[in-house]
Amino acid sequence: MDKLTLSIPTGRLKEEVLELLARMPGWPASCNLNTRKLVFEDECLPCRIILSHPKDSSTYVEFGAADIGIVGKDILMERENEVYELLDLGIGKCQMIIAVPLSVSHHVFFNKDHLRIATKYPHITRQYLQEKGITADILSLYGSIELAPTLGLADAIVDIVSTGKTLRENHLQVLESIAPVSARLVANLISIRTRMDAIRHFVQQLKGVIRNE
Amino acid sequence: MKDVHPREIRVRRRVEGILQTLFGSWGYTEVEPPTFEYYSTLEKVIGKELKERIFRFVNREGRLVCLRPDFTTSIVRMYSSKLTPGEQNCRVFYDGKIFRYPASPFRTESELTQVGLENIGVNNPSVDAEVIALAISALRKVGIEDFSCDIGHVGIFQGMMDSMGYPDPLQEQLKTIVKRKDFIDLDYFLTLHPPEELPMHSLLEEFPYLRGKKELLGEFQKKISPNRRFQEAFERLSRIWDILADFGLEKYLFINLGLIRDFDYYSGVIFEGFSPFSGSPLLTGGRYDELFGVFGKDHPACGFALFAERLIEVLQQSGPVKDDREKTIILSYHPSLRGEVFSLSQDLRSMGMMVLISEDSGGEELLRVTLNGRLIFTGIPEWIALRETIKKEITNG
Repeated sequence: MDKLTLSIPTGRLKEEVLELLARMPGWPASCNLNTRKLVFEDECLPCRIILSHPKDSSTYVEFGAADIGIVGKDILMERENEVYELLDLGIGKCQMIIAVPLSVSHHVFFNKDHLRIATKYPHITRQYLQEKGITADILSLYGSIELAPTLGLADAIVDIVSTGKTLRENHLQVLESIAPVSARLVANLISIRTRMDAIRHFVQQLKGVIRNE
Repeated sequence: MKDVHPREIRVRRRVEGILQTLFGSWGYTEVEPPTFEYYSTLEKVIGKELKERIFRFVNREGRLVCLRPDFTTSIVRMYSSKLTPGEQNCRVFYDGKIFRYPASPFRTESELTQVGLENIGVNNPSVDAEVIALAISALRKVGIEDFSCDIGHVGIFQGMMDSMGYPDPLQEQLKTIVKRKDFIDLDYFLTLHPPEELPMHSLLEEFPYLRGKKELLGEFQKKISPNRRFQEAFERLSRIWDILADFGLEKYLFINLGLIRDFDYYSGVIFEGFSPFSGSPLLTGGRYDELFGVFGKDHPACGFALFAERLIEVLQQSGPVKDDREKTIILSYHPSLRGEVFSLSQDLRSMGMMVLISEDSGGEELLRVTLNGRLIFTGIPEWIALRETIKKEITNG
C-alpha cells in the first residue's frame, strides 16, 4: 500500500508539529523540511508530507489531496470543512476572542447603536453575533487586525490570542472568549475507510507521544 | 452556481441512461415529484442541519414553499395516499435535480443530480439486499470497478445511546457531535458526562474504525451488553450480508458500525458506496419504515440515491471517459450535390453517426469528407464507393 499523505501547515505550527513527529516510532529524529520544496517523499519518512498554507491544510484533506492533516481549530471553525476530527495535539493553543479598546466596558459595548467588527474570521464572527442576537457590520481584513480599533475603523475585533501581548500593546482587552483553539489531526471521509488501519495506527502512535509529554 | 458544458452533460446523460435502463430491468418505474414542495411537508421529517440548507420562499398565497432537497420525502408523500397496506412491493425510481445551500460557506454547488430508487411495502432482509445489490450493480454498470459499499444500521448508535442512559437533551447533543465527526469534542463530552455503561466511552472513541467484514459483528457483540436494538441490528445485518454473499457481491461489502446518516428518517439498515477517487460518497441509502407514518400511513420502505456528478468525477479520474462526440463526420459540399448529400447524411445518422453538413459554394473541391477532424477524401469516386457501401449496410440491416 502507498504511504499516507499528511498535510502539515507552514508557519508557526510547523516546527512544533515536526518535533512531535520526530518523537514518533519510525520517524527520523529530525526531518529537514526547510527547503523550498512543498512535497516530501523521502524514503526515510513514514508518510508523504505536503506543506500547505495554514488556512488550506483542512481543505486539502476535505477534497482528498491529503489523507490526514494538521490544522488549527480556528480554521476548522471558519471553513466548516467536512472531515473527521481525530486528535487534539495540544500545541498551538490559544483562544478565539472578541476584544475591545481598554476604555470600553462590556456595558458600553453592547449598548452601542451600531457596531463594526474587524476580523480575519468573518464566518465565526457572523455566527457568534447571530447567537448573541446582535447585528453588526463585519469588516474582513487579512492581518494586523489590532490596528482597526486604534484607527477608529472598528469597535471590536474577533481574533485568536495566545499571550495577549499584542492586545495589551494596542490598548485592547478581551471582552469575551468565544472558543478554545489548538492544533487538530483531521482525516478525509473516504481515506478513513480505505486507509483505516494506517490512519488508526498513526493516531495511536501520535496519541502515545502526546500523552508522554 | 455552475454551468454544465457539452462534454460533461453528454457523459452525464449517458450515465443517467445506463441507470434508468438498469432500474427499469429490475422492475422499477420512473416517477417525477414536483420541483417545489410545501415546506410543511418537509419540516416534519428533516433534521435541523439540513433545514438550514433548504431554499425556501413564500408563494402567491403566502404559503412557505421550497425547492426539493431530496426525492424520498416527496415520493413518500406521493404514495402515502395511494397504497393500501399489505399490497405487493411498489418499485419506483427517479432522476432529477435536488437543491441545497452549500454545506460550508466556501463551497458553491447548490444543485445536484440524483438518480435513485425506492422499494415500498415490504420490510425484510431480502428487500434490503435487493436494494443494496442494485446499488452495487449501478456503480459497476456505469463503469466504476474500484469502489466499496459500507453497510451499517441505525440501531447500533441507538443501542449505544440506550446503554448510556442519557436524558433527551444530552442525547441530542451527543448525536450532533457524532454527526459532525468531531471526536475531540466527543471525548470532552464523555468525560463530562460519563455513560452508565463505561465500555461505551472507548467504543464511541473507536467509532471511525468500526469497519470490517462479517466477523466484525461477532467481535463487536463481545464488547457490549446486549439490548433489543443491538440484537435487531446484528440479526438484520448478518442476514443481509449472507444474502449478498450468495449473490457473489461480498468483495464490495463492508460492515461499518460507525455509519451515521444526515437524514433523521432512517430506521434500519443504512449504506454508502464510495470510491478512492472521490472525497464524498457516490451513493447513500437505507431503510425508512417510519417516514410514511408522518403522513398518516404505515408502509415500510428502503431506497438509495446516486449522485451523478460524483460518478462522473470518478469516471474522469480513473481513466479517459468514452465520449460519443469522437465519431463526427463533416460533409462539406458544392450546392450541386445538395440533394444527394442530404439523403446520405440521413442514412449515416440512422446508423448512429453524428453528421454535420455544410454547403460550400466557393470551395475548389465538389466535396470534402472529414472524420473526427481528419480529412478522409475529396474525390467523387470515393464518394460513390462510400454511398454504395452504406446502401449495402442498410439493406443488410
